[in-house]
Amino acid sequence: MPFTANDLRYHAEQNYPLLYAYLHRHAQRYLGALRYDAFEVDVVVGHVVEQLVRLGLLGAADTTPLCALDGLTDAQFYAFLNHSVKHKAIDRLRKRRLQVSTTAELEGPDSADMDDNPLNDAVTSIWGASPFSTPEEIAVFLVTQNALRNLLKHCIMVLGSAPHQLRAVLQELRDLGADDLLQTVTEEIASAKKTIEASENTHMSQHKDHAHKKLRHCLQERSTNLTVTIALRLTEYGTRAAPTSPYTVAVHTLMQNTLIEQDVRTGLAQLVGEGLLDWQGEDVVPITTAQMKRLSRFYKEEWN
Amino acid sequence: MNSKYPDDMNATQRLAQWLQDILITPPVSTEGLSTPAPTTPKSAGSSERDTQLVVELRDGNYHKRFYQQLPDFALALLKNDEQAATRYAPLLYHLAGCSICHQSYLEIYDAMGAALYPREPRPILGQGTRTLEATPQRILSHLCQTWITQAEATLREARHDGTDENKAARVLLQAAIQVSSRIKQETVRQQARHDLVRIATLFDDPATSPTQTSSVSAEQVYTPVLAGPKGVTRRGETTRAKEPQEHPTLVLQSRSLEGTIIQRGQTLELRLQDLNASLRGHFITTSIALGSLIEPIRWLGGNPRAIRSATPVDESGTLVMPLGETELRLSVPEERNLLEATFLLLEIRAIE
Repeated sequence: MPFTANDLRYHAEQNYPLLYAYLHRHAQRYLGALRYDAFEVDVVVGHVVEQLVRLGLLGAADTTPLCALDGLTDAQFYAFLNHSVKHKAIDRLRKRRLQVSTTAELEGPDSADMDDNPLNDAVTSIWGASPFSTPEEIAVFLVTQNALRNLLKHCIMVLGSAPHQLRAVLQELRDLGADDLLQTVTEEIASAKKTIEASENTHMSQHKDHAHKKLRHCLQERSTNLTVTIALRLTEYGTRAAPTSPYTVAVHTLMQNTLIEQDVRTGLAQLVGEGLLDWQGEDVVPITTAQMKRLSRFYKEEWN
Repeated sequence: MNSKYPDDMNATQRLAQWLQDILITPPVSTEGLSTPAPTTPKSAGSSERDTQLVVELRDGNYHKRFYQQLPDFALALLKNDEQAATRYAPLLYHLAGCSICHQSYLEIYDAMGAALYPREPRPILGQGTRTLEATPQRILSHLCQTWITQAEATLREARHDGTDENKAARVLLQAAIQVSSRIKQETVRQQARHDLVRIATLFDDPATSPTQTSSVSAEQVYTPVLAGPKGVTRRGETTRAKEPQEHPTLVLQSRSLEGTIIQRGQTLELRLQDLNASLRGHFITTSIALGSLIEPIRWLGGNPRAIRSATPVDESGTLVMPLGETELRLSVPEERNLLEATFLLLEIRAIE
């Protein structure tokens, strides 16, 4: 009787032996010359087991939300496990090969093993075709995509409550030559009628450290993404009856597949808190022309 | 120009590099965090590598909140969901600065790709061991440690976020107790339960924890004595020698003092000897730290963290008090192991 992702989630104790047997067999298969090294087999099996626990699947019952793994067919789930085993086995083979290269085993594995060695299939990176393959690639993506860069702009503006920290970051942007971003932020500061003191900043390094910490936290918060997403949707869906009347948009219009009403209302409330909207919880959100102009300038404009 | 970034970088590259520098997750202090379970002594000539299997990811070096989004994010990318990047923007900002989560992303993305778009024949299920008893005990120990450390990550993250994840942590700890009870080798079972008490009581509710509320620290702290082969304790005493065979016992120790849990029918009875003079003539409260994790025990008074003795400690320092009732039997190895986990930490203190 095969096990399923559901079995591992709700009946881990009963199905763990089956999972172990499956992972063990495939670990031996992919470990090639190391297939009889019990420690290496354990490391590979342990890695995949740990991954299943960390992902909130193995033994988590209904205490974690269902994820993509729960939606795979049985065959797909086995393929997922199989590939996870393969990756770790290749990783171990690479590590051991580096280790043996310093010993008498430098001569390498005998030729009979070469045909079955999964490393032979991994001359180039097995992740070469993956998007976001390096953190550097992600960072460039984040600063060049308007929707994602909006989060950075938003979080820099949030620093406004600590003017020294905001000034430290603006100075950094100036030093980096990030003129477009700097201009957008300074214009927003001006329109928000905030002032950044020009006085000597004697603890610049300290302010910078605090600002970086706040930025890191802000950029990884779901609520930040929610606020920015709602702001952008207001600019996209806000309409007005006449050129002189204010813009309006219904709350349900702002919803989409992954954005439920509660999310929309939370995002709107945050925009109110930041002084970008006057909304009292009605089903239709009023937006003045000035507010729409400000939202559009900050969240909608494309980077040159 | 900022001298930190090479002149040949353009403004976008410099900004990206600056952003990445900001996002790099600082190393977390390991103070107070779980530590790997102690290993068994290595035999002469064994290499550094030949130690027990250790848990790779521990709280502080991986980030549960983001880690658990990786399969959904990978699936969205593989299905060419145009909104994937914006929907998972906080995750992307995290991956730009966390090498461990990024490495896991690559692995999961590739495995999800292989699952959805197979590049080789589908793997088939074969025969294998079908019972926990036939599964290597070191592997079961590793599973328990993974659950226990996951419970810690869950509790710490919940505390940070101001949410309640006690149920989730409890499910993981219960699973660890259940599986560790199937481990026959005592040293391996001990390794499997490493840090269990600390994590189970990590953020105890002061209202229910006498340890947290009492200004008086526990008078005595008892833990189970590991029985060696043939029922001989570590100190060379035979566990069954002191009690008649008809009443199975679990031996506890507190420094030089010894106590026993005796099962009479369904009743679990605590018997302590040679208690301090300061306790004699006093009623005491017994706190069983993990008492609420195992449900089949009906504790006297309902709260395993505060079981009051019906009689005071006598003049010779002896106290006998019932603790509760259970269908679990100390005479059955697996059930005994469950009870052993329950009594991993037993504290007593005088009632003022």
